[in-house]
Amino acid sequence: MHPGIIFFLVILGSILFHIFTPWYWTDVASNWGGMDDTITLTFWIGGGVFVAVCLFMVYCVFKFSYKENRKAEYKPEDKKLEKILTWATTLGVVALLAPGLVIWNNYVNVPKNALEVDVMAWQWGWQYRLPGKDGKLGTTQVVNVNDDNPFGINLDDPYGKDDVMIQSDVLNLENNVPVKILLRSVDVLHNWYVPQFRAKMDAVPGIVTFYWFEPNKTGEFEVLCVEYCGVGHYAMRGGVIVQETQEYNKWLDQQEVFSDLIAKQEKMEVEKTKLVKK
Amino acid sequence: MSEPKIEGIELKPGFKGMAEDTGSDQTMFKGVHWGKAMMWIFLLSDTFIFSCFLIAYMKGRGSTPVEWPNPSEVFALDAFGVPVPLLLIAIMTFVLITSSGTMALAVKYGYEKNRKMCGWLVLATAIGGLTFVGMQAFEWSKLIHEGVRPWENPFGAAQFGSFFFMITGFHGTHVSIGVIFLFIYAYKVFAGHYDQQKRGWFTSMKGDYVEIEILGLYWHFVDLVWVFIFAFFYLW
Amino acid sequence: MSEDYNDNKTIHAQSSETMGGGSAGVTPDMDYVRPAEIADQDLYHGHSFITKWIFCQDAKVIGVQYFLLATFTGVVGLILSWLMRLQLGFPGAAGFVTAEHYYQFVTMHGMIMVVYFLTALFLGGFGNYLIPLMVGARDMVFPYLNMVSFWSFFVAVAVLMASFFVPGGPTGAGWTLYPPQTILEGTPGSGAGILLMCLSLILFVAGFTMGGLNYLITVLQARTRGMTLMRMPLTVWGIFTATVLAMLAFPALLVGALMMSLDKVLGTSFFMPTILKAGEVLEYGGGSPILFQHLFWFFGHPEVYIVALPAFGIISDLISVHARKNIFGYRMMVWAIVGIGALSFFVWAHHMYVSGMNPWFGFFFATTTLIIAVPTAMKVYNWILTLWRGNIRMNTVMLWCLGFIVTFVNGGITGIFLGNVSVDVPLSDTYFVVAHFHMVMGIAPLMVIMGAIYHWFPLVAGRFLSEKLGKWHFWLTFLGAYSIYFPMHYLGFIGVPRRYYEMYDSPYVTSAVGMNEFISLAAFLVGAAQFILIYNIIKTLKTGKPAGKNPWKANSLEWLTPTVPPEHGNWGDRLPVVHRWPYDFSVPGAKDDYITQTTPPSEVSNTGVEKT
Repeated sequence: MHPGIIFFLVILGSILFHIFTPWYWTDVASNWGGMDDTITLTFWIGGGVFVAVCLFMVYCVFKFSYKENRKAEYKPEDKKLEKILTWATTLGVVALLAPGLVIWNNYVNVPKNALEVDVMAWQWGWQYRLPGKDGKLGTTQVVNVNDDNPFGINLDDPYGKDDVMIQSDVLNLENNVPVKILLRSVDVLHNWYVPQFRAKMDAVPGIVTFYWFEPNKTGEFEVLCVEYCGVGHYAMRGGVIVQETQEYNKWLDQQEVFSDLIAKQEKMEVEKTKLVKK
Repeated sequence: MSEPKIEGIELKPGFKGMAEDTGSDQTMFKGVHWGKAMMWIFLLSDTFIFSCFLIAYMKGRGSTPVEWPNPSEVFALDAFGVPVPLLLIAIMTFVLITSSGTMALAVKYGYEKNRKMCGWLVLATAIGGLTFVGMQAFEWSKLIHEGVRPWENPFGAAQFGSFFFMITGFHGTHVSIGVIFLFIYAYKVFAGHYDQQKRGWFTSMKGDYVEIEILGLYWHFVDLVWVFIFAFFYLW
Repeated sequence: MSEDYNDNKTIHAQSSETMGGGSAGVTPDMDYVRPAEIADQDLYHGHSFITKWIFCQDAKVIGVQYFLLATFTGVVGLILSWLMRLQLGFPGAAGFVTAEHYYQFVTMHGMIMVVYFLTALFLGGFGNYLIPLMVGARDMVFPYLNMVSFWSFFVAVAVLMASFFVPGGPTGAGWTLYPPQTILEGTPGSGAGILLMCLSLILFVAGFTMGGLNYLITVLQARTRGMTLMRMPLTVWGIFTATVLAMLAFPALLVGALMMSLDKVLGTSFFMPTILKAGEVLEYGGGSPILFQHLFWFFGHPEVYIVALPAFGIISDLISVHARKNIFGYRMMVWAIVGIGALSFFVWAHHMYVSGMNPWFGFFFATTTLIIAVPTAMKVYNWILTLWRGNIRMNTVMLWCLGFIVTFVNGGITGIFLGNVSVDVPLSDTYFVVAHFHMVMGIAPLMVIMGAIYHWFPLVAGRFLSEKLGKWHFWLTFLGAYSIYFPMHYLGFIGVPRRYYEMYDSPYVTSAVGMNEFISLAAFLVGAAQFILIYNIIKTLKTGKPAGKNPWKANSLEWLTPTVPPEHGNWGDRLPVVHRWPYDFSVPGAKDDYITQTTPPSEVSNTGVEKT
């Protein structure tokens, strides 16, 4: 069999695989559908180049296989052809880059009305904090973190007192409300990623990183850690439940607020001292 | 390879000459000794190492939450009971720059095949370098005595100690290696290895005074790096 | 000891050989070549077994030494990949592959393959063997330094392998060695393992610097008469430019490794912020983990091209020789190599789009990254245009070349996905990335290495490798590797994250189970197929068909040595004189379909040679 046939079948197989693959995107559940569109565009342009180049190669292999009496063409350079190819490629690259940069511009500019969510990561788990009625998150420090203050909130920060604390790896979000995820880590790198939302960013100890998205489908989604964080990396999961406003508010009302926790602890402290006195 | 002699080739000056050399066969840098070309490229690579160190230092100094110590207090030296800022470091810098001067003279006398003068000047450079390393050791022990460690210091951010010891240590290692080679080369000059074109211990090349210039390039580079370290650590 | 050296021939004796008169002022006729500028090189000739084969100063022997040691590390890397695929395809099938071990295998596989296998093989192996031969030098310019370079590499490999046997085992922090993870208790190999890794990398960089200086000065200052830069084979251009990149990129790795070691040993906090571990605040504080990532990728991205550029160069030569046609657009090819090399220093942070660095960098690095696509695409066009109207020998070497084009274009296109910042966001840290870089800098360069082995083996050993075994080797490797990595991209689309020891309890990745089993089976097959080559080499050394001089009818100097295989000093009494570029194939009017580089114009005056 001529080797060209096998190469041709490889190209054909790649195209068929792409068309019939059962392995493909999960349905997008956020505002980042544009990323999928850019990927599709890249597939058309890039895939087109791949197929064209490979088919040309296969054609050459068939057409110009070695013959004793044939002499190859002698043509060191073709300035015109090279120029055309350079410009055509440049054009293709610009066509791919431009939409990519537009979307990135959206990605780095967070809408003003976005709800800030503090996502705190450690080896190996997540917990979340929402701003209270004042709409602002209290500042935090790693050294403050302990059993009484699981988020390490600075006690002298008035904004921190009414923060809503979700000591669970499942976070509820309101449908169609933009969310600004503020990531921090107390030990190593992590990354809070929901495949259906498309967006992601590393959590880096020492700094706070961010990204935003707007969920637009209700339902339950799985959170994966996608930055290698040690032997438990593959098991570091969480969840997101996207709900309509009413249900979301119901859930929100049930959550504990930081001042409640302080009060509870003070009460316990008082009782403890009473016990000791007795 | 001994000093290349080029017959029948006129080198044109300027950009045109450079383009012509680049387009020609055999060598790109006409008449440049292999070892000398090698040293230039090595130094370029070494420049990247020190740049990485200094850029890391800037980034580290910029991002640490604790305040950076004040260099004129940390590096002050008591002279007759009065703390003079940067006294020691000024002397160290002076010594090192002077040794660059003696090195340059050694190269000149080497090419004039003035064995004695060349040897003495290389030796003087070596002693200058040794003095520098000695004073640096003194400064290190002073800082250590005051409680500065790579992982902490009483004056402020811990990263101050980390970067200071790492970068001056890396530079000091460069100087020390240079000093060792200077002593070896001083011996080789006095013993007349370059006049007799004696082969070195490890190389198949014949000895030549150009080796003094090659070592000189390294030495000037080490001095130049010191100027940057001086500016970044002591003046910033 | 002095009888061990050639005597230094005077320059004058060489100049008098110049055809058409040496000195300026005489009108040069068409065969004129500039007179010699550099004296013939003194070489140290070893006499004992040790100086001839072990502590040897001959670049060709050093090249083979590099080749063998790199291949050994490559086999170790291959075995590690088998163990990883065993766990991924059939979780729990091999009980001893625990999560700790799995991550150690991932780390060591990555580091070994990128640095100790590919880099050492291309630059140390092919570079040492081919550069002096291709530019017409007797040896590398500093043979002793060259020898030390190899033995530094040897010690680096020994230290790396030693980390398998220390308490705690080798580091399991991922080949990127990101702090703080890398040196924190609880990470596999966070004690001796990571220190040995850093030490080994530092030794490798030191050894490489010695070799690299040799390659550069040999190319710049020791070419033979008539060998201008624009007459050098693209192999030399590729290796040369890659070496420049390495000389400027490895410093960042060296600094990163050094600072990391200090964080571990002395407790400095270069990369270590305040950390809460198991309820206790550690003594670290104030450092920046992202600083390490910048240092690492300032090395890491040029590193990709350190592997790719020699591959580009070698493949150009192989295609040209076996298509019996000049490489199309030689000048463009040279400028593309140089341009890609220069640009590669301005794109490193495209590995860090979602690392938490200032996101505004994304605009800059996405743009620079996609600009690199243009010269790279030009190279691809020129390869296939070289095939166009050629006279293509469909032998094993050409098959590897064709396999390279398919895998490289595939991997290059997926690179455009990942370089385009917002497309990268959903794909980064998934199997798409794994598939992309294995295709473009694993399989594609491997195709080149294999092609180069089949091409140059007749020169090194004087015998042809078996074509029949070679074709089996090729088809199993190419089809197997393609069916590993092509479908793997689609796992990335689903969102399957990389570096997962096990993943099947996620509801939407259950469909990936079957795919993972298939990929693992293909991986076992491809790995096993590599042993065909080893068998082929052993068999050929014993009973292979003798090749004779210039068996492929090539033009470049390495095939024109007086003896095959070339001896120490390469050229016998007289150095070759070069009159043309190495791609004069099928010149109209010429008797043969090739004109060697040493053929003077007067011998082929009636032909239509266009470029010299």
